[in-house]
Amino acid sequence: MTQKATLVIGGGIAGMQASIDLANMGIKAYLLEKKPSIGGRMAQLDKTFPTNDCSMCILAPKMIECANHENVELITYSELSELTGSSGDFKAKIIRKARFINEEKCVGCGECIEGCPITVSDEFNAGLGNRKAIYKYFPQAVPSTFAIDRSGTAPCKAECPAHISVQGYVALIAQGRFQEALKLIKEENPLPAICGRVCHHPCESLCTRGQVDEPVAIDFIKRFVADLDLNSETRYIPQVKEKKEDKVAIIGAGPAGLSCAYYLAREGYRVTIYEKLPVTGGMLSVGIPEYRLPREIINAEVQIIRDMGVEIRTGVEIGKDITVKELREKEYKAIFLGIGAHECKSLNIEGEDLEGVYPGVDFLREVNLGKKVSLGDRIAVIGGGNVAMDTVRTARRLGVKEPFVLYRRSLEEMPANEEEIEECREEGIPIYPLTNPTRIIGEDGRVKAVECLRMRLGEPDESGRRRPVPIEGSEFIMEVDGVVPAIGQESDWSCLGSECSCTLSGWGTMNVDPVTLQTDDPDIFAGGDAVTGPRTVIEAIEAGKQAADSIDRFIRGVDLKEGRGKTWEPVKDIPTAGYEHIPRTRMPRIEPETRVSNFKEVQLGFSEEETVAEAKRCISCGVCSECYTCVQACKAEAVDFHQKERETTLNVGAVVLATGFDLYNVAPLMEYGWGRIEDVITAMQFERMICASGPTIGHLKRPSDGREPKRLGFIQCVGSRDIRHMKYCSAVCCMHATKEAILAHEHYPELTSTIFYMDMRAVGKGFQEYVRRAKSEYKVEYVRARPGRVTLNEESQNPVIHYEDTVNRELKAREFDMVILSQALIPTESNISIAEKLGVELDEFGFIAVPEELRNPFGTTKEGIFGCGFCQAPMDVPDSVIRASAAASKVAEVLA
Amino acid sequence: MSLRIGVFICHCGTNIGGTVNVPEVVKYAATLPDVVHTEGNLYTCSEDGLSSIRNQIEEQELNRVVVASCTPRTHEPLFKKNCELAGLNKYLFEFVNLREHCSWVHMTQQDDATDKAKDLVRMGVAKVSLLTPAEDLSTEVLPSSLIIGGGISGLSAALTLANQGYHVELLEKRDRLGGLLRDVNRVFPSNVPTSDLIDPLIDTVLKHDNIRVHFQAELIDVKGFIGNFTATIKENDGIGELKIGTIIVAVGANELKPEGMFGYHLFKNVMTQLEFEQQYRGDYNGLKDIVMINCVGARTDDMPYCGRFCCITAMKNAILLKEADPEAEVTILQRDIMAFGKVFEEYYQKAMQVGVRFVRYTVDRLPEINGVGNEANKVRVYHELMGRDLELNADAVILTTPLVPAEDNQTLSRMMKIPVGNEGFFMEAHQKLRPVEFPADGIFIAGCARYPTEIVECISQGYAAAAKAAAPMSQGRVVTEALIAKVNPVMCSACGRCVEICPFGAIDWTDVSVSPKHTRRIAAVNQAECKGCGLCAASCLSSAVQLKGFTDEEILAMVNATIL
Repeated sequence: MTQKATLVIGGGIAGMQASIDLANMGIKAYLLEKKPSIGGRMAQLDKTFPTNDCSMCILAPKMIECANHENVELITYSELSELTGSSGDFKAKIIRKARFINEEKCVGCGECIEGCPITVSDEFNAGLGNRKAIYKYFPQAVPSTFAIDRSGTAPCKAECPAHISVQGYVALIAQGRFQEALKLIKEENPLPAICGRVCHHPCESLCTRGQVDEPVAIDFIKRFVADLDLNSETRYIPQVKEKKEDKVAIIGAGPAGLSCAYYLAREGYRVTIYEKLPVTGGMLSVGIPEYRLPREIINAEVQIIRDMGVEIRTGVEIGKDITVKELREKEYKAIFLGIGAHECKSLNIEGEDLEGVYPGVDFLREVNLGKKVSLGDRIAVIGGGNVAMDTVRTARRLGVKEPFVLYRRSLEEMPANEEEIEECREEGIPIYPLTNPTRIIGEDGRVKAVECLRMRLGEPDESGRRRPVPIEGSEFIMEVDGVVPAIGQESDWSCLGSECSCTLSGWGTMNVDPVTLQTDDPDIFAGGDAVTGPRTVIEAIEAGKQAADSIDRFIRGVDLKEGRGKTWEPVKDIPTAGYEHIPRTRMPRIEPETRVSNFKEVQLGFSEEETVAEAKRCISCGVCSECYTCVQACKAEAVDFHQKERETTLNVGAVVLATGFDLYNVAPLMEYGWGRIEDVITAMQFERMICASGPTIGHLKRPSDGREPKRLGFIQCVGSRDIRHMKYCSAVCCMHATKEAILAHEHYPELTSTIFYMDMRAVGKGFQEYVRRAKSEYKVEYVRARPGRVTLNEESQNPVIHYEDTVNRELKAREFDMVILSQALIPTESNISIAEKLGVELDEFGFIAVPEELRNPFGTTKEGIFGCGFCQAPMDVPDSVIRASAAASKVAEVLA
Repeated sequence: MSLRIGVFICHCGTNIGGTVNVPEVVKYAATLPDVVHTEGNLYTCSEDGLSSIRNQIEEQELNRVVVASCTPRTHEPLFKKNCELAGLNKYLFEFVNLREHCSWVHMTQQDDATDKAKDLVRMGVAKVSLLTPAEDLSTEVLPSSLIIGGGISGLSAALTLANQGYHVELLEKRDRLGGLLRDVNRVFPSNVPTSDLIDPLIDTVLKHDNIRVHFQAELIDVKGFIGNFTATIKENDGIGELKIGTIIVAVGANELKPEGMFGYHLFKNVMTQLEFEQQYRGDYNGLKDIVMINCVGARTDDMPYCGRFCCITAMKNAILLKEADPEAEVTILQRDIMAFGKVFEEYYQKAMQVGVRFVRYTVDRLPEINGVGNEANKVRVYHELMGRDLELNADAVILTTPLVPAEDNQTLSRMMKIPVGNEGFFMEAHQKLRPVEFPADGIFIAGCARYPTEIVECISQGYAAAAKAAAPMSQGRVVTEALIAKVNPVMCSACGRCVEICPFGAIDWTDVSVSPKHTRRIAAVNQAECKGCGLCAASCLSSAVQLKGFTDEEILAMVNATIL
């Protein structure tokens, strides 16, 4: 069966004309364009030769005709993925890329642009100007729908356990938009001031900036905006939805419990937190020393949660003061267990019960709760994690003369934060790696010494770290007054009574569904260290958030799993070239000699200037930062970050190729200095510059100093008619340069232009007359020469063209204010993949091959597939539209 | 029925709303006469806005609608269609441009912009009150085409139209098809004999059921308009009439005979490229030294245009000469080598490879032809790079001349009201984007009648013109917007200004009877041809011509609304 429809590939002038003609002949045309708008190269032009018609003025009506024609269907921002079938009956599969904008809702008003913090080079303006990550391809774009340039989720966000829009807040901070940044952080993390101090910041470990120089100091940036909010008079309190009647009990006021409470409170639930300890914060308060995390910071963040309506009851022990059964009777619809892991694991070596052996977390808790602990002068802390570091540094501050750390693996394997290790060193605390205690030796029931074995590193274990292997006979004894084991913690489950049917794993952690965090008791959810064993603050926060989502679904009676368990793939192949090396800003700290005697916060925080400067180091891996400012700004509610790539299949009888051309990269023509001499630009860059809708609003400005040029030098055939580059003639450059010279003179009557050419190929209707007028009316001088090179006059900073004057047979050099290179026009790179999918051949340059030019100038090597315009060979606009109409007529024959 | 006007004012996000105080303008609009409904929309063009218009048309029984928003260029069709959906005649809609004409240009003067917005809305309301319903016009299109000229362009057009199922009347002045190509020996860049290309094509055309070829036929007259033309033709057996829906002009062009230049007609061995091809037909016996001179009669003050493919023709004959006899000395004297694009540049390389010598000359030092008796034997030329004169031997001197317009272009121009440019070639509707169309509907142009065109482009233009002709024929009808001009016969003074000024040839004279005994000659608009540009209405001194939707009364009502 013959399909009365055609797929036209390429939405430039040729593709548009072919579509309109087909449509007018009663054949449905699907106009496929990979860019967000149709219009093609002609949309980039200011004027057209030889009539100097405004390009957009004649193009826009065509674009609108395409959009409004009932027989033309625009498929923009889309690409062909497969073509099957044969002439008369093809099936074309099309991939519609995600714009992240709902096409039906977007009205093209542009409200979204304002807030977007991401600025990228604007390819429509040939890289001369910038655009935002959310953008309309050009002002007159058809469809007028915006698109978000979003290559994927930045590694920082993907890696963050809570998936905070890291790139987003960093981008906002770079613009000094601190309040917005904080709001964005608080979407995913209710405790940013705490995390800004103690997070192990996996976001930084994958930061792409690290491939340029050093990772962005993301965590410290976050701390700045969080602190700014803590210290402000009116603090940000997230909006709470309409209050609900349902009650939820949370056991444990640590990061997991607080986070769960925060998200449930936001949804309007009535939340009560029960906390065994006299203080809130859990491990944050009793595990982390004050010099790392001051108590008022914890209290301030918790206060916001209280302000959102959460009730916190401290000093209440579940299982003793109140049971789970009683909670259920009090009509709590669900319970979240976030009890943490506060019991120290034992070393399982001889002498552990001697006086002077004090488990690390117990030690920290006692100290943090204000109790006096005395261990002696020489203390061995065993372990390599943050608890070990915190313990040993706390001991130092309590006056212990010689605290030190024993760790069984090497320094590289230490799980503690790098900064903690560094600060530990600064404070003069020794760390002995590859040392494993094997026995604690006592005297009169008290610790006297510890026996250790030296270790070496063997094969990697299941954690990926190299396994420590004892070195036979390396035992040695260290005399100590106390031993503090800090090798891990577990949970105390005495809160659970017989009314609970939830179960524990072999590790003593709660068994839960990995996605919903629901336990074997349907109304009991658990998260944080209680489920994972000792882990990080940010993981506990995420667990609390996920549990809140589950509890909300549970109470509403909807599916707990639907749409969850997303895996986060970071964007790949991020370009890192061309960035200047800027070192990471260092965190200012109190001097070691001052700080070791007190519990004052060691890290002082960034200043505003430091924060903004550091944020500006971000290289915007995902392009769009996912700050969601546009979502807020769009009154038509058209922004849709969930939009996915879609596939459609079209039944068509024929295919018309109109893929147009690309601009040749002139950088390899080193002799002409593009990229090296600032005031050497390409013809397309000049075109955008002279265009009233371009980046300089039609003013000629030298890229180097913004000065208005008085003398322009045009070099023709740059990359064309050149066996080193493109052998062919690009067909339009002679007239294009002539037009640009005329326009420049029209803008600035004082300006003169010189065009260096080989043959002035003015072969179209009215072209010779145009060149004559250029000479006689517009001060355009034509010099027959192929310049050898362009240099920079160091004194005047002007480009100089070196050429041979063939009339007088001498070498000359002439200085210009700006040099314009008429770059070769080349077939689009996408021709290669399109040709492969269609099964048509390309010629040696990559143009669509025309096997029988005399008999069928529109044919390709495959029946039913036609070509028109520049994708066949270099040609100007009229020739392109003629070919387009002709191809349409040929299609009409085939489908007749 | 009394007027019930609805006014919808768009914020366009902040595009309008950020400058113009829209709520104030909405409030103001409600005070205007006959306005029964007003509202402000965040986006009138969104589905919310559009459905609101439809609902109000129904609920409030609106019989006039005004939308004040962005620009009619993109949005007027949308709103008109929307009115139709709700059952309101689309010509009872008026667009007020508040964005381009107001908010964007007065961004810094918010109060003044609001005042101006009120003025614009008041004008819109004044005009919409006077609008009357109308229906678009539809005329039938005959599915047949007249193609004038049986050269490569005309043949191509004929074949594709016939293959699409349309009837073709192909008119050829001579007694054979093929046009100018008949005289060409071989075609570049493949250098195959022309007959290889043209003979099978002619054969197919002659045998095609859908094509009727009229040999030695002359076009006498064309009447009518798109869809219904009547062509009068003179053939061997007399004068006949053809009824056709569309016309393609493909009359071709002639080679310039350079009388008085470079010894042409003074020496018998000085000839044009075409004469050379006809004379030798590939048998170059005896020619050893050949000099070709390009740009003869082209790119000069008198004949400014470039013949586009003359350089390639010269290269072709030079290559053929060198291939026939590699010892032959073939020199092309040229000013610029117009080997534009991919194929021709490659051809140029080939010419140089086979040993064709290219020497550049300039107009201020033209080559000189010297000879003995009626035989040229030397060409003298100044060689720019060497800085001295060269003297070349010449068994033959071949002058490369451009194509010049066919002799009856002017006659056809008058007959069909299709324009001719300065050089005498036909002038297309728009050089850039409408290269094969004329301003008048239903008549198209292809090939060398428009401008010197190489074979592949002639074929392309034939096909392109066919596509344009096929469009109305495939639809079977042409629909014209109702916003067209009309002449009031009583007021027409028959001055003829409108007939002159109409760019589409849509106004002509007609006789109307004014009493049983008297008729009067007045101007009349052909509805199918009128584009509604309004030039006639603006130029009419008697106010006899009125443009629907922009009548004097309507415009004056708007003016009054502004100044009162």
